[in-house]
Amino acid sequence: MSLISFFPDWMLTHGAAFLVVVPLIAGAIAAILPKRQIAAALTVAVSFICMLTSLLLVLQIIDGQTINYALGGWDAPHGIAYVVDGLNAPILFLISAIGFLVSVYGMPTIIAEVEPKKRAPFYAAFLICLAGLLGMVVTGDAFNVFVFLEVSSISTYSLVAMGASRDRRALTAAYNYLIMGSIGATFFVIGLGFLYMETGTLNMADMAVILREMEGGSRVSEIAFGFIIVGLGLKLAMFPLHTWLPGAYAHSPSMVTVFLASTATKAALYLLLRFVFTIFDVSFNYVFDVEIYLLAGLGMVGMILGSLQAIFQTDIRRVLAYSSVAQVGYMLLGVGLGTAAGLTAGYLHLMNHAVIKGALFMALGAFWYRYGITRVTDFNGLSKSMPWTMGAFTLGGLSLIGVPFTAGFTSKFRLVEAAFLKGWWWAVAIIVVSSVLAIIYIGRLLLAAYFQSPPEVNGHVVAKNEAPLLMLIPMWFLVLLSIAIGINADIMVDLAEGAASVLLPISAGATP
Amino acid sequence: MAKQKSKMAKAKLSDEAREAKERVEAHPMAVPFLWLGRKSVQDNFIFLPLIGLIITIVLGLVFPPEHEAPWDFFASWAVIGFCAYSAVVFSAEPLFKLLARDENYYGEGSDNG
Amino acid sequence: MADLLLHLNPGFYFIFAGILCALLPVNIVRKSLLVLTPVFAAFMIFQIYGAQEVISGVISVGPQELITLRIDRLSMVWGYIFCLAGVLNGIYGFHERCRITDSSALIYMGAAVCGVFVGDLLSLFIFWELAAISSVMLVWMGGEGAYKAGIRYLAIHVLSGVLLLAGAVIYGQSNGGDYTFGNIGIDAPGGKLMLIAMGIKCGFPLLHNWIQDAYPKASITGTVILSAFTTKLALYALARGYAGTDILIYIGALMTVFPVFFAVIENDLRRVLSYSLNNQLGFMVCGIGIGTPLAMNGVAGHVVADVVFKGLLFMSMGAVMLRTGTAKASELGGLFRSMPYTTVFCLIGAGSIAAFPLLSAFVTKSMIISAALYSAENSHAIKDWIVLAMLLFASAGVMEHSGIKVPYFTFFAHDSGRRVEEAPWNMLVAMGLASLLCIFFAFPWGGYQFLYSLLPYDVKYHPYTGDHVVFQLQLLFAAMLAFAFLKRIGAYPHERRAEILDFDWTYRKLGLGIVHWMSEMWTRLSVNISRVSMRLIKGTGQKFYHIFSPAGTMSQSTPSGFAAVLTAGMLVVTLIFIYIGAS
Repeated sequence: MSLISFFPDWMLTHGAAFLVVVPLIAGAIAAILPKRQIAAALTVAVSFICMLTSLLLVLQIIDGQTINYALGGWDAPHGIAYVVDGLNAPILFLISAIGFLVSVYGMPTIIAEVEPKKRAPFYAAFLICLAGLLGMVVTGDAFNVFVFLEVSSISTYSLVAMGASRDRRALTAAYNYLIMGSIGATFFVIGLGFLYMETGTLNMADMAVILREMEGGSRVSEIAFGFIIVGLGLKLAMFPLHTWLPGAYAHSPSMVTVFLASTATKAALYLLLRFVFTIFDVSFNYVFDVEIYLLAGLGMVGMILGSLQAIFQTDIRRVLAYSSVAQVGYMLLGVGLGTAAGLTAGYLHLMNHAVIKGALFMALGAFWYRYGITRVTDFNGLSKSMPWTMGAFTLGGLSLIGVPFTAGFTSKFRLVEAAFLKGWWWAVAIIVVSSVLAIIYIGRLLLAAYFQSPPEVNGHVVAKNEAPLLMLIPMWFLVLLSIAIGINADIMVDLAEGAASVLLPISAGATP
Repeated sequence: MAKQKSKMAKAKLSDEAREAKERVEAHPMAVPFLWLGRKSVQDNFIFLPLIGLIITIVLGLVFPPEHEAPWDFFASWAVIGFCAYSAVVFSAEPLFKLLARDENYYGEGSDNG
Repeated sequence: MADLLLHLNPGFYFIFAGILCALLPVNIVRKSLLVLTPVFAAFMIFQIYGAQEVISGVISVGPQELITLRIDRLSMVWGYIFCLAGVLNGIYGFHERCRITDSSALIYMGAAVCGVFVGDLLSLFIFWELAAISSVMLVWMGGEGAYKAGIRYLAIHVLSGVLLLAGAVIYGQSNGGDYTFGNIGIDAPGGKLMLIAMGIKCGFPLLHNWIQDAYPKASITGTVILSAFTTKLALYALARGYAGTDILIYIGALMTVFPVFFAVIENDLRRVLSYSLNNQLGFMVCGIGIGTPLAMNGVAGHVVADVVFKGLLFMSMGAVMLRTGTAKASELGGLFRSMPYTTVFCLIGAGSIAAFPLLSAFVTKSMIISAALYSAENSHAIKDWIVLAMLLFASAGVMEHSGIKVPYFTFFAHDSGRRVEEAPWNMLVAMGLASLLCIFFAFPWGGYQFLYSLLPYDVKYHPYTGDHVVFQLQLLFAAMLAFAFLKRIGAYPHERRAEILDFDWTYRKLGLGIVHWMSEMWTRLSVNISRVSMRLIKGTGQKFYHIFSPAGTMSQSTPSGFAAVLTAGMLVVTLIFIYIGAS
């Protein structure tokens, strides 16, 4: 705990609020900044501060404590409470750390992808999005979740739309995302409304207590649950509700794609965990039913169909986007297993996937940055023209497949183990099949990159042109992190087990 | 009779002519063995296994099998060998009709030759 | 230092050398490494292994202990023969200048040696996969036609590895975390999965296609190298884990018989040899199934003999291919005129595989057949006699495809008119050494005794008894007579160029067709769905929709209107689930 002593005292007490307020205010400032460089520097600095703050939060809760922070001194249930526990602290750190890496990574790409006069607003939107994501994870108030959900979503729509100067289709994608996101948010808030009607409170902890007293409540809370599940399912790109995702990932600026892929769906998944396990409870029949059949079932359907669709894509970002749909399926399967081992595995996969996909999308951004590559066929000979970036992509891809000694392997392996423990043999089979499909869609990219020769322009083989260091460093950081997790995942597993013990307070101790 | 003889002589002559030509092209170590290519040698090859078979069948009487299978007798393996071999060869034609396809059936091109 | 080397799995030397080769631009150094590494590794095996089982090199990875070195009488045989094959292959490939082949061959051999000498299932899995990944390079070096075959090869082998891992995990977990690789048995938890994994790698019927698919398409040296290791590693795993498993007897017997029929109609002689490989593996699988000490000795001995004579046959076909550019029976013939040495070596290999007395398979295969005979004698069960009959049938079949077809159509038969050079000296040396070994292993005065002294069990067995020699010769002479007779009456089929369908048709044609059909249907379906959904939206949402969605982009992403309908549908489904759950 000596690390904590490096932080000032006020941060120990106010860290939770500080984490949200700083990027929010910085976002407002960035919007009016005249120069891109200042806005970029501000973003890097702010996201770095956020990362440190969330690290502090993780350190504070690592031995099972919970931080309750009453915003403005107004105690819950009347005021808004921020609650940090083993479940959301790692997500907070994940979001802010990815935010920091992405803002470093974004410095070169933004110049290439966003019109000059939109760059400062771009950073503003990014910071507000960061604040929204952090806010919806940190808050312990259900309505506050909705507010931050909208804050992050609306800023994301504009971030996606700013890809328009690169690719006009970004506008459609953003529009699709806007419609779908709004529907999701509406469903979510309708669900909250029903829940408020039933329990008379908006504080999550209170809701949980009241719902347990009512033993699940009446039809009203059942309907509320349904709306919330579908609303969040849309946000986290649960299969058939994922249709907004490929477009949004494919056409937004590289930096946004990385950020969205690594954080946005993860935050929504966190909310799903929070609602299914702590506000509602799996001991309620209807929750159990939805968890076992709907979440796990759709998760597995998503794993297979998402992977299949990834195979048939021609746009590389769409390949990875559909792969994300499949990976969300893995996490949902872990959630659907409902055991401590399953939740640990799902949570671990959530974090690992953020690292892996972050690295992969960073590499794709670099390919675009140097050669304008968007199609699978453009991969020919990339191992020769961009060896370092391709190396990162390769390691990330192997990790995504789940080759031993990579992060993807650790979490998939745990998921397989958890499925075995539960006796879900067919789930294991589906994991294996989906991994084989992953070999195919990653493999064909790697084959093209390593076994084809680079294209020729005017009779000359395209020259080697490596990505700038500012892009390579965050990319390789994530790649090496994924390898490190693959070799020794103890820290990650501890965090995931901590999260699982928040979700299943009783059984987590019993089944390691 | 005479006709046949002259045919044989002709064949021998052509063998010699062919071998003289081959002697020039062939590997020096192969030169003493060029007679292996003669039609008469190939035709009469059948006597080698035939004689061997007769000898071993006779020997089969001298050395009866120590561990007998139900079907074993002094020439059992000869029968097995002949029948099995013929069965395999006779199965080739119907199998070929059933299974053979154009060489580029899988569309991957022929790998060699 | 020297002490440390005694705890190091000898396979690692190959892997180090392989990595070194990948970096070395000097051909001669690479070639020396290729020949010397196996020699050194064999020497180290000799140093490490005295008389007792050696277990060492235990590494802890997390909570798991990996035993990286275990040498006992069973694994020792495989270790030595792999080193021997390594030397032969090194010499055989001496003329080739290819860094990828050299390094991947070494890593592949190292993976096989490591796999044989590790003591737990998890390490076995690692080298199992390493062997697959490194060897696919050898397939790919075969040129254009080999690419897709290589992909299939890789996919099948990775699948085998995944199954092995899954089985190992189930097995280990049910054993309380003990992953030691000993006798597993088919009834153990995870036992069936691992059996299938090994079955894929050693070519069980219907799982065998990768052999005939990939081996004939690999490069000339690649095929020779491939033929020695992958399947033998799998055999080792079977012998270790499943000795005496009854089902293997029948699988093995079936495996000896079915390739015979494919080999007789196949035109590509390297593919004929691949079927022949499959058929020999059948004998060994059958021996493992019988599982008596005599049978296991037969298996180990036959592995040794098979690596050498099958290597020799592949080498001779490789030499022919190098010189003529083809290995198709229909294109060859009469080559003894140009390649006399190769002819002699090929004949020795053919005689060995057909088990002529004084040639290697005679002393090894007979142990397996005798073991089958003894077990049938003991049980008097009709099925055991059927197995024996199948083995005898297959022995005659071996004579057909490897004993006669391969040498006859290449070197004799109708003169193709091809006049080529004799094989390069290094190939001749490798083939000569292999031929000598074929003779040595069956040499009645000291040769076979030496081979038997290496085998895992102490069993007295005398191959050169009067009845054995006589009856084996009966079988072989009768087969030759049948050949000559059928040839004479014109019943022997001509060699014709064709692609022969095997079980791989199901995935290369049927499966691919289904996938194509499904993707076609999927496209049509999604077009239709979007059309239908467009119609539904017409009226209310369409105007709104048209304002914001440029027509060009619509076909590229699912329309949000449709997605909205989908969301509503999801809500209904969720509520139904909740309703069922709550009531």
